[in-house]
Amino acid sequence: MSNISRLGTANAYANTIANLSQQQKQLADQVERVSSGKKVVRPSDDPVAAAQAERARTRLARIETDQRTLAAQRATMTYAESSLGEVNDALIEFRTLVLQAGNGSYSQVERDALANQLESLRAQILTYANRKDSNGLPLFRGLDSQETLIQGQYNYAGQAGQAGSSEYGITNTLNGAMAFMDVSTGNGVLAVHMGNEDPANPGSYLPNTGTAWADVGTIRNPSAAAAVTTPVNVQFQVDAAGAITYTVDGGAAQAYKEGQAISVAGMDVIFKGTPANGDGFTIAPSSKTDVFSVLDGVIAAVRGAGTAGALQQGIAKGVAEIDTAMNRISTVQGYAGDLLNQADRLESTMLKREEQVDTLRGNAEDIDPIKALSDLESMKTSVSVALQSYASIQKLSLFNFIN
Amino acid sequence: MSLMNVGVTALNANQAALQTIGHNIANVNTPGYSRQTVALQTVAGQNRGSGFIGNGVSVATVMRNYSELLNKQATAAKAASAADIARSDSLNQMQDIFSGGDAGLGAAITNMMNAFADLNAAPMDSTARNVVLTRIAELTSRFRASSTSLEEQDYATKQQITNDVTLVNSLAGQVATLNTQISRALATGHTPNDLLDQRDQLIREINQYVKTSQVNADDGSINLYVGGSQALVLGSSVGQLSVSESKDYPGSGKLSLYFNQLNGEQVELSASMVAGGEMAGLLKFNNEDLVEGRNLLGRLALAIGTELNKQNQLGLTLSGNPGTALFDLPSSMPGYSNIPGYDLGTPSASVTYSDTKQLVASDYKIVFGSTPADTKIVRLSDGKTRSLVNDLGVADPLPVPTTFTVDGLTFSLDANAITGTQGQSILFKPFSAAASSIKALVFTPDDLAVSNSVSAAISTNNQGTLQLTQLKSVGTGIPALGTPVTITFGVDAVTGEITYDYTGNTSGPLPYKSGEAITIDGWQIKLAGTPKDGDSVAVSNARDPELGDSWKRNSGNAAAFLDLRDAVIFDNSTTLGDGFASAMAIVGTRTQSAQYAAELSTSVAASLEGERTAVSGVNLDEEAARLLQYQQSYQASAKVIQIAQSLFDSVLNAVNN
Repeated sequence: MSNISRLGTANAYANTIANLSQQQKQLADQVERVSSGKKVVRPSDDPVAAAQAERARTRLARIETDQRTLAAQRATMTYAESSLGEVNDALIEFRTLVLQAGNGSYSQVERDALANQLESLRAQILTYANRKDSNGLPLFRGLDSQETLIQGQYNYAGQAGQAGSSEYGITNTLNGAMAFMDVSTGNGVLAVHMGNEDPANPGSYLPNTGTAWADVGTIRNPSAAAAVTTPVNVQFQVDAAGAITYTVDGGAAQAYKEGQAISVAGMDVIFKGTPANGDGFTIAPSSKTDVFSVLDGVIAAVRGAGTAGALQQGIAKGVAEIDTAMNRISTVQGYAGDLLNQADRLESTMLKREEQVDTLRGNAEDIDPIKALSDLESMKTSVSVALQSYASIQKLSLFNFIN
Repeated sequence: MSLMNVGVTALNANQAALQTIGHNIANVNTPGYSRQTVALQTVAGQNRGSGFIGNGVSVATVMRNYSELLNKQATAAKAASAADIARSDSLNQMQDIFSGGDAGLGAAITNMMNAFADLNAAPMDSTARNVVLTRIAELTSRFRASSTSLEEQDYATKQQITNDVTLVNSLAGQVATLNTQISRALATGHTPNDLLDQRDQLIREINQYVKTSQVNADDGSINLYVGGSQALVLGSSVGQLSVSESKDYPGSGKLSLYFNQLNGEQVELSASMVAGGEMAGLLKFNNEDLVEGRNLLGRLALAIGTELNKQNQLGLTLSGNPGTALFDLPSSMPGYSNIPGYDLGTPSASVTYSDTKQLVASDYKIVFGSTPADTKIVRLSDGKTRSLVNDLGVADPLPVPTTFTVDGLTFSLDANAITGTQGQSILFKPFSAAASSIKALVFTPDDLAVSNSVSAAISTNNQGTLQLTQLKSVGTGIPALGTPVTITFGVDAVTGEITYDYTGNTSGPLPYKSGEAITIDGWQIKLAGTPKDGDSVAVSNARDPELGDSWKRNSGNAAAFLDLRDAVIFDNSTTLGDGFASAMAIVGTRTQSAQYAAELSTSVAASLEGERTAVSGVNLDEEAARLLQYQQSYQASAKVIQIAQSLFDSVLNAVNN
């Protein structure tokens, strides 16, 4: 407007008023920004920043959800881990009691008392295995399970397998099939069964009459042991003179000496006690069982239906299998520990990310309070300057001087 | 005596000048008033033999200080700024619907999706299920409320345009009346300044609403044209504007501005033809900005709703049945056209949604050409044009029905629709109803499909370290009851390469990569870890009797719902979670650029108005100075008369003596 030599009075007033209201609007906008603490109040203030801030808010809401979920997952996993610890403690106690039962000076009455204790321990362990999290889901449900995880004479009513974790959280289930249902009989490769296999009923064994019993054996030749597919028979003979010999799988007879290792199927088995004529032992490949059946087997041996040899062999076999079971449980417990560590790492990652995203959001939409306040002050000044100059200029009229 | 006469003429002339100055001062604040000045001229002298002796002064005419060029420029600039301001104000209102923050529509979407996280942890918890259902209901009501706000704005805009049309018609009538009066007054030989000002002011007011071009006629009247060449005022006759639903697309609700010619024919004026004035801004807002806002909102509702519906249908409810749709969404939308025989009820042309991930937030128009090969479909948001025959593979001539797919939309035209002739068109608004009609369909917590319809078991005999990362149903075809699909892994003894094979696989062992999804039929499994040779995973139907009611404790589908947050469902680049933010950016950018345009054109208009008033406006200081000037002249003239009087008296005295 500098090229204009004359001004319309009405237009000049209108312009001044327009400028004043423009400045006041800017002041009001700035007050709105300062009071809300945001430099982007509406998307049109800065569409890119507004969208950035909105995306950041979505991320923040999600991180918050993830944090809450992770806390719940961690609680569940802590519970599962400590439950496995309790199972382990119970198994150690069980094992100690079983070894006590092997004490030759104990009478059957004392052993029965021990057996009662053992039974209550087994019941406890079963309860631990069936534990549920705060949402009613079995802790050890694997990939899916029914309401009661271990049913009847030890059926795992679920889908075996371990669920993995995601980048936002850890899994809240452990593989119960691995922890409880995956115990190898005997020493893990071969199992020594007392008695000859019943030809009419394969898989079950005829009772021995002597007091001989065997330990679980020590593998000497792993490939030979692994190659065993059909049961190998150790057969004892007692002649009229009382000399005891044995044959392995129908081979040559050899003299039996108590406590000496007999090499059979790639492993050394130590036999103790005195076999009766015709007594036998069957060495078969190890099979899969579960921790509860192992405990039941030991309890049955302690309750003592069979010979003294049967008790000793049952204890030896049971202790070896309990060790295997504890090993499996420790593996799963260790995995639970890993998950808890992972939860810690995830949590610190989330906190860092939360901070980072919030900074991003802040940069996009939050106002710099110092700058905002100083802008506000300078706007206030310019509004009052504009008002003052309007007031003083409107006094300048030629009519004021005509007199 | 002539001195007396000279004095009287001067007195009269100066009085006229003073009166004009008074008139100027009086009208200093009258809108459209042009400053007037008195043009004085000498009364020619008489030759008295000793030369021409002057006879005084007379008023030649009263001039109006006026620049036609500046006046036209200022009027046009005001029209442009009125259009920009109207559009900017309307967009400012509209963008509130797309504002972010914890109370926004975006937060409602985020909250709903995140609610599935609690369900993932507690699939049987009816509280968690209820929370999800509540969030779903909340989101639908938010969509409907946003849509209602848009409809209200649509209604208000239409109302405003209708009012503007009435005003323009009445103003045009007044211009025509003034035209008559002015040409009559001009016949007197003098310009009727105040009438001219009045007419210019009326024209300025008309331009506030609709831009006109003006042509001056010889008789002093002004002809006004709108939309380029439609005569709104022609001398003393007046045309009429009217506004109604587009006659090309009955039923569509599209607003069109019509000019009614004297012969009764109606000519449609598009926003670009109107070019300026509030109506142009409102028409542009109504037919472009509001349409885009509605389409963005509709697409958001449609795409999110469809994804969630699909996911719920893939899972199992607490009672073990496949889930049902969560949202009620429109399945098809009609096309609108005035092709003879076109039936909107059936409808003759319609559009359905075939792939919601491909959708573009736009209206579409099928424009018929002279031949089927010339017939094309236009995406109105960006003008992308595709020929039905050449680009979309439709047969030539168009078959009955004609069906083709564009941007995830399937269009179908029946026999009544394909008879369109050159210049005729069908308008489709695929997203106009989704946000307004979206409703929650599931109200029972148990009916939320939280559980997977498939269940996996990793064999306990496995020697490797396989873990299940994810298992979900992705479509139709899951293992039948009692016949699990077993995935068996093989490890090449020499290369160590790991492959997998599965029951019913016909293509031979496939390479396995830890963490990568394996999709078989209608389900997908993600395994992590390294399997050993012979390891296996069995996947069965979750309803297998041997699994009992295991599905109840499974939350695989809730996890799949959570995964949807990261599913890219908009424009091949934007995830479900970020869909709202990008819609917000689009609307924000539109509003911002409209604001910038309004600011610019307002300042241009203000500057031109300043230049116009520099010529035509009254400056009080100037008038004060002139007031003094003419006052002195008047006083001097009076003195002349006094002198003439005393001269005359002198003569009389001389004679008396």
